[in-house]
Amino acid sequence: MFKTIIAFAALLFAMPVYAIDGAQLLKQIDRNLNPETYESYRKLINIEPDGRKKEYTLFTVKKGVDKVASLFLAPASEKGRSTLRLGDNMWFYIPNVGKPIRITSLQSVVGGVFNNADILQLDYAAEYDVEKVEEKGNEYLLHLKAKTKTVAYDRLRLWADKNKKLPAKIECLTEANMLIKTLYFKEVKDFGGGIVRPSLIETDSPLYKDYKSVMIFAKIRKRELKDEVFTLTFMPNIESLR
Amino acid sequence: MDETEDKRYGSGYRIGIRRRSGLLLFSLYFFLSFILPAHPAFTEEYTFDTSETEKKPYHIGGYAELRPVLFGLDKDAALYKLRFYNHDQRNPLFELNGKLLLEGSLEYGISRLYMQTSSDYNKSSMTDHQKTTIYQGYISLKPSNSLMFDAGKKTMKWGKGYAWNPVAFIDRPKDPEEPDLSLEGFIVASADYIKSFGGPLKTFSFTPVLFPVYEHINEGFGAINNLNFAGKLYFLFYDTDIDFILFTGGSKTTRYGIDFSRNITTNFEVHGEFAFINNFEKNVIDSTGKITKSTYDAKSYLLGIRYLSEKDTTYILEYYHNGTGFDRDEMNDLFSFIKIGYASFQLSGSDTLLRKTLDLTEGGYGRVNPMKDYLYLRISQKEPFDILYFTPAVTWIVNLNDKSFSVAPELLYTAITNLELRLKAIFLSGTRNSEFGEKQNNYKVEFRARYYF
Repeated sequence: MFKTIIAFAALLFAMPVYAIDGAQLLKQIDRNLNPETYESYRKLINIEPDGRKKEYTLFTVKKGVDKVASLFLAPASEKGRSTLRLGDNMWFYIPNVGKPIRITSLQSVVGGVFNNADILQLDYAAEYDVEKVEEKGNEYLLHLKAKTKTVAYDRLRLWADKNKKLPAKIECLTEANMLIKTLYFKEVKDFGGGIVRPSLIETDSPLYKDYKSVMIFAKIRKRELKDEVFTLTFMPNIESLR
Repeated sequence: MDETEDKRYGSGYRIGIRRRSGLLLFSLYFFLSFILPAHPAFTEEYTFDTSETEKKPYHIGGYAELRPVLFGLDKDAALYKLRFYNHDQRNPLFELNGKLLLEGSLEYGISRLYMQTSSDYNKSSMTDHQKTTIYQGYISLKPSNSLMFDAGKKTMKWGKGYAWNPVAFIDRPKDPEEPDLSLEGFIVASADYIKSFGGPLKTFSFTPVLFPVYEHINEGFGAINNLNFAGKLYFLFYDTDIDFILFTGGSKTTRYGIDFSRNITTNFEVHGEFAFINNFEKNVIDSTGKITKSTYDAKSYLLGIRYLSEKDTTYILEYYHNGTGFDRDEMNDLFSFIKIGYASFQLSGSDTLLRKTLDLTEGGYGRVNPMKDYLYLRISQKEPFDILYFTPAVTWIVNLNDKSFSVAPELLYTAITNLELRLKAIFLSGTRNSEFGEKQNNYKVEFRARYYF
């Protein structure tokens, strides 16, 4: 009996004091990155191996976990184009063509390393389940698995700052853990309204060696938006939200 | 590497393999970094001047385009004889085209004024003219994000098809060779009401349209002195876009349409359209020049797919049945009558018969694709051989009734911001009395430089 008590006590000490709720942690990271409903401006820069750059400026609105729309403001050749994502559905509207066409998450409307899923990013918790959480010094390492096959990346490895609960790095992987790209979250900035988050995301990829893409955020703010804004019929009118 | 993953994520997987030389340079850099004095780490500064996001109440933009074209004429073709019977052309024929597309908008409160004009210049050995057309010009009122009103000249662009849109009842027909071009609109008054839901029906919207046809207002669309009504109901239902479309009024017979679009997988989309035209009237000319009018209920439909391959190749394939089109015998009769008219002109100098046919070709016979069954295939490859901003493509349009076809290879280059360069050729092939065999050209080569501002 004494041996049993000793063994049980030893087991108790061997276990962590508490288990991290991965799903809750991921939701917290999502909320720290963005308010649930917000507007923002972004600049996307594609940098080629020879140093040449192509820049795009976007206005973005997002609501809830699965609604996001973006409008291109620059360059002139792209101005007025817009993208819409409703869950797994994605559309691209070109004013000259005049009607939205369906696009896919693995395509890229801007070229470069960012694809449509990166540009129209939903909450991570909406697309991924947490398989495991590890503690690595000052960081959590979350192992995420896509909820469905329609998600752009099968797996993510997300490193998050323990205190700020903000991502520092995300590796996007295939089902067989092959690296597709890495996102680096940098330059944490106070955007006002309680939004403190990285203002710059850099990405590189072994698939696009020597290429780099950068996303710079500005003017992120909470904003109430109606669901009707995130519809095909509204796509030509996103400019009116600015 | 897993072959499945290679297919899913594309040729980029292989880029790293091709670039082993980069490893050598990296090794050299790594070695030098040990023997050379320490240097500060390279950090790139990225800037985002937020003043460029400030919204102005007005906007002016557009593009300027220069487009020289070389036509290889087919002097034995029926449509060459019809068009150039009294002024023989140099072959090949050179044509210079210029275009200035201007668009501007002005916003005040819930209202917005939008204008789009196209100024076109065309010069060849037989033409030298310029024309400015208001493509669109309308005022919008947006009392809420669920309700919007537009009034003025506007393009509606209904339908899901890429090359053809049988349900686009109130749009001008687009050219399947250039389906992305801006089109001139019609004068309409329309509204959009949008409602979103949870559950399988995510979105519903209703677009009613008043379509007047009077003298100087949409004249040429159909019978004048009529106020027509068109409407579109849109549903996003179980991740499928579905539209129900109606046009009714005295200018044209009542017609109904339905279209849909859906992603089967993330890289495979299907779409379709079906149009039912009540009491469609068709004028048919026989080989003696007698014109017969027939009335019937026409059914047109389109079925298409869009597929993005693992190598970033996009395939668009569409089958189009044009219920208002002409069959092979009817087209044979037209071509025969043109040839009779041309022979008559050569013998007597009288162009009466040819003029009669010219009038007809401004109607149904004059459509870009006037026959019944077509197949469209476009294959475009993004950045092949790692050549950035380069997209070659090839487009086939096949007339399934007479097996004639056009094939159009093109090269698009967009390395310079706001400048688009495109070289395109169109080759036509078909026997005598076939659609593409009787067109006035054997081939066309054009270069297009377009600058956006």
